[in-house]
Amino acid sequence: MSDRPDPTFGSGEMRGIGMSHYLPMPVIEIGDGSAPLPTTRGSFTARPHVLDADGRLETGMLASLTDSIGGMTSGLTCLPDWIVTTNLSLRRSPDALQGPRGTGDLTINTQVMRRGRSSVVTRSTVSDSGGHDVASSWVTCAVLTPAGGPPPFTRPVRMNDHERSDDPLFELPPEQFFSLEGGGRPGEVLLHPAVHLRNPWGILHGGSVAHLLDTAARCVVAGRVDPGPTPGIIVSDLVIHYMNPGREGPIIAEASILGSRGRDILVRVTARDQGAEGRLMNAAAMTIRVL
Amino acid sequence: MPESPADTSSPADTRPAYPPPRHAMRMLAMESEQFETGDVRGWLPVSPMFTGPDGGPRIGAIGMLVDALGGMRSITAAAPEWAFTADMSLHLLPTGPIERIQTDIRVLRRGRRTLVLEAELTTDDDRPAGLALLTFAVVPRPDHLVNIVIDTSPGRRTMSRLEGDQEPPADYHRELGFIEESAGIVMVELRPEVGNTVGALHGGVHTALVDEAAVSLGRTLLGPNATTTDIHLAFMELGFTGPMRAEATLVGEPANNHLTAVVQVLDGNNRVCSYATVEVSAP
Repeated sequence: MSDRPDPTFGSGEMRGIGMSHYLPMPVIEIGDGSAPLPTTRGSFTARPHVLDADGRLETGMLASLTDSIGGMTSGLTCLPDWIVTTNLSLRRSPDALQGPRGTGDLTINTQVMRRGRSSVVTRSTVSDSGGHDVASSWVTCAVLTPAGGPPPFTRPVRMNDHERSDDPLFELPPEQFFSLEGGGRPGEVLLHPAVHLRNPWGILHGGSVAHLLDTAARCVVAGRVDPGPTPGIIVSDLVIHYMNPGREGPIIAEASILGSRGRDILVRVTARDQGAEGRLMNAAAMTIRVL
Repeated sequence: MPESPADTSSPADTRPAYPPPRHAMRMLAMESEQFETGDVRGWLPVSPMFTGPDGGPRIGAIGMLVDALGGMRSITAAAPEWAFTADMSLHLLPTGPIERIQTDIRVLRRGRRTLVLEAELTTDDDRPAGLALLTFAVVPRPDHLVNIVIDTSPGRRTMSRLEGDQEPPADYHRELGFIEESAGIVMVELRPEVGNTVGALHGGVHTALVDEAAVSLGRTLLGPNATTTDIHLAFMELGFTGPMRAEATLVGEPANNHLTAVVQVLDGNNRVCSYATVEVSAP
């Protein structure tokens, strides 16, 4: 469905999903694969170049993981149809925003809560290597019939358990991997939708969008134009609505501060596809905690 | 989900008038204004019956405002089809004591199967008071609503309110019948006063019930001034069998006067009707 170039990395079901190489998370389906409402578990191995100085994954990238596993688990319950994410909510626990709690490797347990005629809702619980719950997320997906059919699966699913790519692309810091560029003011960030940031259908991966929106929100609070780390500033919760796909680019995220409650800043963020006449792709609300 | 602002059913309809005299919506005495564009503005007079420790309105009552006004906006946006609330996120900013809160609802996207709305909240002196995002599922108009005609013409109007001789309640949540069973667990009987047009638990009452369960947990862990500051709520099933029960469960541990919880609303058959995550804080 896309005129994008062929992916140059990955194979089989992972072909072309750059996000799965940058944030590798093997996923297993719990049980024999016959449950009508599947349950899955993802194991994220933290690599230093994607973490902040404390060893914590940024919230947008954590949302990318819950989007990936929530979407896949939703898709399993819809086969032979498939899904597209429409809404993602993620909230970190307050004791996991600083200090050692919530750093390092993460486990994500996901289950389908509801499978309706046209939508699926999953919930995910994120725990750290000490077994502490550190975040909670739910994802809503719309059911669709994809051109070319759904991704191939053998049940129970063992996914992403592949050889790590040695492409140096996947060793880049987030602002470079996600092809980010500062806009004209703090909170305005551009993403250039390179092939590795897209999904197998050629549209911008939901996780790429989550990182873009998170970055714009942190930058507007930090007052910085160039995207990059914002020490002491973290997204404590986010809600992202996926309304239209990103296809052309550049994608521009614009964040604005609505107000504050103590050390919590409420930020509204949108993303638009400038190459598609500025079409609104996403609307998000986020709380930023200034530590 | 959209609720008719007045009983406009056909003359042959023998169902009881909706909403009943002391319905959850009536006690809030909300007002609305519909514009030529279809966009909607609404107001909630702030009353001590639903204010929190800082004197500002609690998130439960604001959830009713956003749900009701969002429902109004969805009627024209979804026409000729119908729309049901699928999820709602609501982030509040501290307002302190105010006389009323205003919300402006606009359409972000009308797709084939979903409708996304944004509700911006402001105080009577024009300070930002919060932000809500709502998703509606667009569906063929249900049979029981085919003959209902809802006035969506431009203009300002009073929404359902108590009759002149009726006293407003002292405590909104108590009037709704919320009963705290234990820390973080709150139940409510399914009565017409908390129901929607089809007799299930009203979407706005869902929000209030989630708020009450979250605050109940927060009072135990953070102290008496615990307040729900934001909610991400997914509606999953209509709750037709009471009693309805909200259960708040901690995620991680409290820190810096904050806690995060998951709140599930279950019906009398233990079916999950809605699922929320919440943030509770204490000054």
